[in-house]
Amino acid sequence: MSDALVRVADLTFGYPGAKQPVFRGLDLNIAEGEFVALVGGSGVGKSTLLRNVAGLVPATSGRIQFARPCSAGRRDTAFVFQDTRLLPWRRVRANVGYGLTGLKLSADERHARIDETLRLTAMTDYGDRWPHAVSGGQAQRVGLARALAVRPRLLLMDEPFSAVDALTRQHLQDQLIEIWQRLGMAVLFVTHDIEEAAYLADRVCVMRGSPAEIVHDETVAMRHPRNRNDNDFRRFTQRVANQL
Amino acid sequence: MSTSDSRQRRLAGRLRRPLLGLVGVAAFILLWKLAYMFTWAPRGTLPDPFSIPAALVNEWRNNHLLPAVGSSLIHYVWGLAVGTLLGFGVGLLAASSSWFDDFHYMLARVLRPIPPLAWVVFAIAWFHVSHAGAAFVISIGVFWVNYFATAAGVANVDPRYYELAQAFGHGSFIKRVTSITLPGAAPGILSGMRTGVGQAWMTLIAAELLGVPGMGQQMNAAAGVGAYGAVVVYMLAISLIYSISDGLFSLVQNRLLRWRP
Repeated sequence: MSDALVRVADLTFGYPGAKQPVFRGLDLNIAEGEFVALVGGSGVGKSTLLRNVAGLVPATSGRIQFARPCSAGRRDTAFVFQDTRLLPWRRVRANVGYGLTGLKLSADERHARIDETLRLTAMTDYGDRWPHAVSGGQAQRVGLARALAVRPRLLLMDEPFSAVDALTRQHLQDQLIEIWQRLGMAVLFVTHDIEEAAYLADRVCVMRGSPAEIVHDETVAMRHPRNRNDNDFRRFTQRVANQL
Repeated sequence: MSTSDSRQRRLAGRLRRPLLGLVGVAAFILLWKLAYMFTWAPRGTLPDPFSIPAALVNEWRNNHLLPAVGSSLIHYVWGLAVGTLLGFGVGLLAASSSWFDDFHYMLARVLRPIPPLAWVVFAIAWFHVSHAGAAFVISIGVFWVNYFATAAGVANVDPRYYELAQAFGHGSFIKRVTSITLPGAAPGILSGMRTGVGQAWMTLIAAELLGVPGMGQQMNAAAGVGAYGAVVVYMLAISLIYSISDGLFSLVQNRLLRWRP
């Protein structure tokens, strides 16, 4: 793919002293603005791959390359964690602005960025609250807002909605689609829920094996908003499930 | 039940604790008075509780009380400040750098069990009988309290926050310490500092009993001439000043930790 934003090439990761790597020789390209979901069983290495791409854990070998340098006031990647990881000693606003320190932004631009991101995630009214005073779903929106505030070229999401109830999860999924369509960043979304992957993504990749590899990579040929009861949707999820 | 009944009941509930507290103090004074009347302690060593106000006036008029309090406060503030800063700094370093932890742990194990008062001999030899000597002894006690509280506080910071810091551009040592380590460890660090505020008082009086000017020395001098009423005056002054300093510190602590549920 010539217009890839990120190229993951021949990536291998193994824990020191382990008999075999978690994954070996893995290739994955993500285009500008593309929403890619990564599914697979527990412990297969999805989150590890995400951490490699974010630069949180160095890969054993291989390359992760971004197409060109990131523009000022943005970061290449931002991470949304499964456990929200809000800093309890910072109010919601300060949590959202956490990643802005060090970016070339004036104080006014920083404030404007935080306000805009709070609006995008429908959290404007909660900016002055402490993290302990927001619900689980709201906390997850703050975690998303914190990542969006740095206007990442690639948003990395590690099972972000797995800890909330089904109704909140659906609401968050719809909100994510809306934000993604508006901001147009690429997303790499890790989930073990095939339906969630099919509902959100442009492409679904399946990781399997030990060492793991991407055994299936399929474009989701359905427009948003998608209907979970649609026959095409069911057939797609079934095809992906067969690969797991 | 009428509204006025429930209001009275709430008021009675609120007053119960302070009233019972006052009854407890009165009971203690009664017991003290009985001990005085029936000479339960060796004659002349226990003052009449009702003579304490007169002893207070006497110490005030003779211009003993305020200079002694002022002198003690000088030792206290210096000893507390030096001990707190060093204890915090070394504790932070010990918990943040495994090299430093390995380098100092054996020395810490040797020095920790030595009571601060054991250093009085060296304090006198190095600083003579002076403010600096007393502040030195106080700072040693305060140092260890803050050292352990800071080291434990920093070690207990959730490591997942460091990954977050790295993911959002706060990966450098300074940014990590200021955005994660210090606020995350603040509850433990502030608890240690508050304990240090009390520890400093205890060491201070003991250090002054050995001759450094202050309330401890005044207590010793008063006891030497059998003025046990004056001794109690200084004991109550210590209690009052400690309560004020602890109360002020607790206000600061609550303000800094207002983010806690």
